[in-house]
Amino acid sequence: MADLTKDEIRAMGHAVGLEIEDPELTEVMYSLNALLESLDAINPPGLNDVEPLPIILPPA
Amino acid sequence: MNTSELPFLSAGDLSRLIQSKEVSPVEATEAYLDRIASLDHRFNSYLTVMREQALADAQQAEEDIASGQHKGPMHGVPVAVKDQFWSKGVRSTGGSRILADFVPGEDATVIANLRKAGAVVLGKTNMTEFAITGFSHRYATPRNPWNTDSYTGGSSSGSGAATAAYLCATSLGEDTGGSIRFPATWCGLVGLRPSWGLVSRYGVMRGVWSMDTVGPISRTVEDAAITLGAIAGHDPKDRYSSTVPVPDYRQALGGDLNGLKIGVITEFMESGLVEPKVRQTVSDSFATLGELGATVEEVSVPLSMDAGVASAVLLAVEPALAQQDWIKDQLQDYGHDVRILLLTGSLLPAQAYYKAQKLRTMLRQQVLDSLEKYDVLVLPTSGKGAQPLEQDPPITSKETASRLAFLFTRIFNLASCPAMSVPCGFDDRGMPVGLQIGARPGAEETIFKVAHAYEQATAWHTMRPPGA
Repeated sequence: MADLTKDEIRAMGHAVGLEIEDPELTEVMYSLNALLESLDAINPPGLNDVEPLPIILPPA
Repeated sequence: MNTSELPFLSAGDLSRLIQSKEVSPVEATEAYLDRIASLDHRFNSYLTVMREQALADAQQAEEDIASGQHKGPMHGVPVAVKDQFWSKGVRSTGGSRILADFVPGEDATVIANLRKAGAVVLGKTNMTEFAITGFSHRYATPRNPWNTDSYTGGSSSGSGAATAAYLCATSLGEDTGGSIRFPATWCGLVGLRPSWGLVSRYGVMRGVWSMDTVGPISRTVEDAAITLGAIAGHDPKDRYSSTVPVPDYRQALGGDLNGLKIGVITEFMESGLVEPKVRQTVSDSFATLGELGATVEEVSVPLSMDAGVASAVLLAVEPALAQQDWIKDQLQDYGHDVRILLLTGSLLPAQAYYKAQKLRTMLRQQVLDSLEKYDVLVLPTSGKGAQPLEQDPPITSKETASRLAFLFTRIFNLASCPAMSVPCGFDDRGMPVGLQIGARPGAEETIFKVAHAYEQATAWHTMRPPGA
């Protein structure tokens, strides 16, 4: 996947009410791209067949 | 016994001396307060010392015990608590400048439970900002008693430093991605992340609601058992807290490991993120477990090395949502790495969060399947011993975006399982190494049994840090 650019990061921030500029902008770009790239690379068989269950509730 | 020696007792031994009235809670509390006053400038472990209240509580404990009202193993025992927990009438910063003046009107349930058990709260311990990163401190950075030029591990950094430096008998931390076990391993301590829901989170500043847990950081396995026993149990103020009765965890201590099956997670042991000396040290601990009677075998948990990435998404997104007003209005009041983390979490796409939760489901199932075959799973807590202190560096590339890849704790946070780090030796720099023991939800007693048998077969827990 292509890395997000600074302009794209800035626009994404604007969409959620955050005006992100340097020095944070550059670091957020690296941080966000690193995380998305790592996540994109994980595709175990059967992933589409599971539900996103956050917890096991403790015994009642 | 000279009162200056009291802080070097385990919490369990101190408890027995208090119960038999050979030591008074006031003597013990004064001994710890004296050490804090004279030594904590080296370690920066406390943000707030509650001297007057601690002495008053110790006096009350002494009177109660003298009148035959002994409340149990924590009665009169001096404890330190992470500043992430509300404390009535006492500043509770969460390690952040944003809450520098926050004084709660009530105690977190874990602190209320400690008080009910008769424990003496010495003060509030330092921590990384809002407990959501491993390194960033907004007050002085805690220093590791094994080498004061080294880091303690976080986020419960002050609880780790205070316990290792004998500035409390035992302590509480909070573990969302490893924040109890990380300082425990780097400071040579026992740290337990309990099963999710075993301990109330009412009054605990939130990180990730489905991963946050409060637990003990202690010098011995027994100390962790009595500390957990005091704080665990159902709380009507936390609707997700377990209603299962809390056992006396001390009953699980003792005996050999005959009949127990232990699985060594191969992915971690074979990872290039484990330094050779750490790998050897942890491998030696597996051999000891076998000598104690357990059957030790290798087991594969295929998604285990992906736990870091999946949890990193959750650890970025959920705090960013919880703190969205502060992010908009007070961004520059955050420390550097928390600021970048929260901005990153604010922008992560919903698809990423959804995928991370699906990966979590798969990983959890793999862990639980393994725990059908094995009583506990074991692995290094961290691939490295404590690292030298350094300034919080800027992120200058994608490769420098993650600083915690060597931390192997998150598999159990994602799986909602309990896990403990117990000291198992030292690395090349002479810094402590931890053996991590995980079990199925609700199986704390099995962890205590395994950890205690290992501890009693070795001498690691008897060693004092040179800085203390």
